[in-house]
Amino acid sequence: MDRLLTGLVLQGVLLAPSLVAASDFDATIDLRGVIADGLPSYLNGGLGELRYDDEHDGARLDSVRIGFHHDFLEIIHLNANAVSYADGDRSLVDLTEAYAEIRPFPLNGWRSRLKLGAFYAPISLENRLPGWRSPYTLSPSAINTWIGEEFRTIGAEYDLDWLGRQHGHDWELGLTAAAYGWNDYSGQLLAQRGWSINDRQTTLFGRIGQPYVAPISGLREFDSDVDHRVGYYAGGTAKYLDALELRALHYDNNVDPNSYSYKFDMFGWHTRFNSVGLRWTPTDRWTVISQWLAGRTIDGDSGFNNNIRTDYYAYEFHSDFVLASWRRGADRLSARYDEFEMHQTLSDGFFNTDRGHAWTFAYEREISTMLSVAVEELLIDSSLAARPQIGEPVAALERELQLAVRLQF
Amino acid sequence: MRINATAHVAARGAFGLGSACLAMTLCAICFICGRCVAAADMTVSMLDSAGHGVAGIVIIAAPEAAVAEKHALRSAIMDQQHMQFVPRILVIQTGTGVDFPNSDQIQHQVYSFSAPKSFKLSLYAGHKYPPIVFDRPGLVTLGCNIHDGMIGYIYVTDSPFFGRSDESGQLQLHGLPSGNYTLTAWHPQMQEPGDNTLRLQITLGENEHLAPVLHLTRPLRTEMTHDGDKRWTDY
Repeated sequence: MDRLLTGLVLQGVLLAPSLVAASDFDATIDLRGVIADGLPSYLNGGLGELRYDDEHDGARLDSVRIGFHHDFLEIIHLNANAVSYADGDRSLVDLTEAYAEIRPFPLNGWRSRLKLGAFYAPISLENRLPGWRSPYTLSPSAINTWIGEEFRTIGAEYDLDWLGRQHGHDWELGLTAAAYGWNDYSGQLLAQRGWSINDRQTTLFGRIGQPYVAPISGLREFDSDVDHRVGYYAGGTAKYLDALELRALHYDNNVDPNSYSYKFDMFGWHTRFNSVGLRWTPTDRWTVISQWLAGRTIDGDSGFNNNIRTDYYAYEFHSDFVLASWRRGADRLSARYDEFEMHQTLSDGFFNTDRGHAWTFAYEREISTMLSVAVEELLIDSSLAARPQIGEPVAALERELQLAVRLQF
Repeated sequence: MRINATAHVAARGAFGLGSACLAMTLCAICFICGRCVAAADMTVSMLDSAGHGVAGIVIIAAPEAAVAEKHALRSAIMDQQHMQFVPRILVIQTGTGVDFPNSDQIQHQVYSFSAPKSFKLSLYAGHKYPPIVFDRPGLVTLGCNIHDGMIGYIYVTDSPFFGRSDESGQLQLHGLPSGNYTLTAWHPQMQEPGDNTLRLQITLGENEHLAPVLHLTRPLRTEMTHDGDKRWTDY
C-alpha cells in the first residue's frame, strides 16, 4: 500500500505532463568514493555511528535526487523532493519532502506563510541546498543528522514574518508554529544507537536499515500515527542584515508513550527538545554556524514486571557543534567540531549511554555550475554502552574519508 | 538647426547683408553659449574619515530654486541577476519609468510597500511588465517575495543633478545654474548619526567650478554579497 502510494505520488508529481510544462526541476547525482574504518554501521547490523563501514565502502552511489517546484495561482508553491539512495530501502525512489507553501505578498512589512504537507522543521542552519543538503560538508552535524533521520513535519506550519529591512531597519523577525502527526517513534533511533554523523535522510515511506537486521531492524519512522495526538513546535527567528541569523525552537511530538502499535510491536516515543542556532557571516568569505539541542524522550515499552507496571524508559540527550567555513571563488574549506551525549534516566535494567565528539574537515571545489568535487574526513570518537550487547567494544574511534563527485542539473 | 539655417542665408545673400547676418548670428551663438557658460560644474568628493574616496554613494545636488527645463534620463533599468537586484542601488529623477526585467532562470515576485511607490509584480521571468513610473520623491526599498535575501533600493529625487560616486569617490555634475544647493549623500550601509544621510549647504556662483567634499564620520557597514550563497534556500 505504501509503495503504491509512493508510486502514485511520484508519478503524479513528477510525470504529469500538464505540470511539467510549467514546472521547474532540478536534479543531482552524487557519487562517492569511501574509505571507512570503524565498527559495522548501524545500517548494517552494528552500532557504529558512521553511514559506511569497511564492508560497505569503496565506490558508492550516494544518491540520485530530483527536486520539483511548481507555482500555482500566484501565491501557492508546490515543492517535492524525490531521492534514491539505492541501498535497499523499501522503494527504489521515495520522497523526503512534499508540500505546498501559501505565500501571499507582504502587507506593509508583515507576511504570513502557511506550509501544508511533509517538510523539515526550521532547525538546521547547515542544510541550505535543495534536497536539504549542506553546502559546507558532505555529512551534516550530529544534530542535523538526527533531524534528517527521525523528524519530518507532516502537517501544517504557520510563519509570521516582519520584514523590517523593507522599512529601513536592520532586523527581520519571524515566528513559527506547527501542528503535525506521524512522528510517533522519533527518539527511538537516538536511544538505541546514540548519535551519528551522516547524510542519509529517512524518506517519507522508507525505513532506517534493513528489516530483521538487529539492532535497528528497519525502523519505520513516519509510517503510522499510533496515538492520533497532535504534536507541535513553536519558535522564532531573528536576522540582522545578511550577517546574522538566530533561531530558537521548542519541539514536542506530544506522543502518548503508552500508545501501542500492533503493526510494529512498538510503543510511542514522547520526544521533547529545545533547539538554538546561530549563523554568522562576518564577511563574504567566512561563515560560522553553531547549534545546540537538548531534550528528553520517553518510551512506554518497559512492559510489566510481576504484573506491576514498571517505569518508562526515559533518555536525556544533548548535542552542539561549531562549524567554520571559508570560501574563495570556487573553493570552500570547512571544519566542524561536534559533541554529543545521551543517557538513559529510567529503565527496568540496562541503562544505555552515548558520549562522544567528532571532527569533520571538508574541501569542495565547484568546477562548474554543473559539477563539483569534494573531499571530507570525518572522525567520531564515541562510547556507546549498548555495544557489548552485540559483541562490540563500548569505545570506538571511527574514521571515514569520502570523495564526492556531484553533478547538478 | 539655428546655426545651419543662418549659415545658409549667409552663403546666398549679398556680402554686406551676409556679413551683418553673420555678425548677428555670431552674437546669437555667443549669447547662447554665454548662457551655457553661466551654468557651473561641480565635482563632489565623498571621503571616509581617513580621506579615502568612497565609491557607490548616492549624491544629489538639490537646487533651492526650481529648475524647470532640466531633466535627467526618463528611463532606467533595475535588472534581476543571480537572485540580486542589479544595480542594487538606483538613483532616478521623479517621473522616471523603471523597467524590471528578470534575467534569472527562475521566477521572481517583486514588491515595494515604501511610501513614495508601492507596487507588486506577480511571479514572472523575462521581460513581462511595462516600466513603472516613480512619480514621488523618496527612498523605495525593493524586495522579492520568493527570495527574502533580495533587497534593492531606488532613490527618487526631484533634482536633475544626481549620480553615484565613482571608484575615486567623485561625482561630476555639469550644467548647474548658479544658486543655493543642498548636497545629499546616502547609501544603505551608511551609519551616520540621525537618518543615515549626509547633507551640506552650498552656494554656486556663475561660471564657478565648486569641489565640495563630504566626509563620512563613520565607516560604511560591511557589505556582503554572498553571491554564491544567494542561490541557497533556507529550510
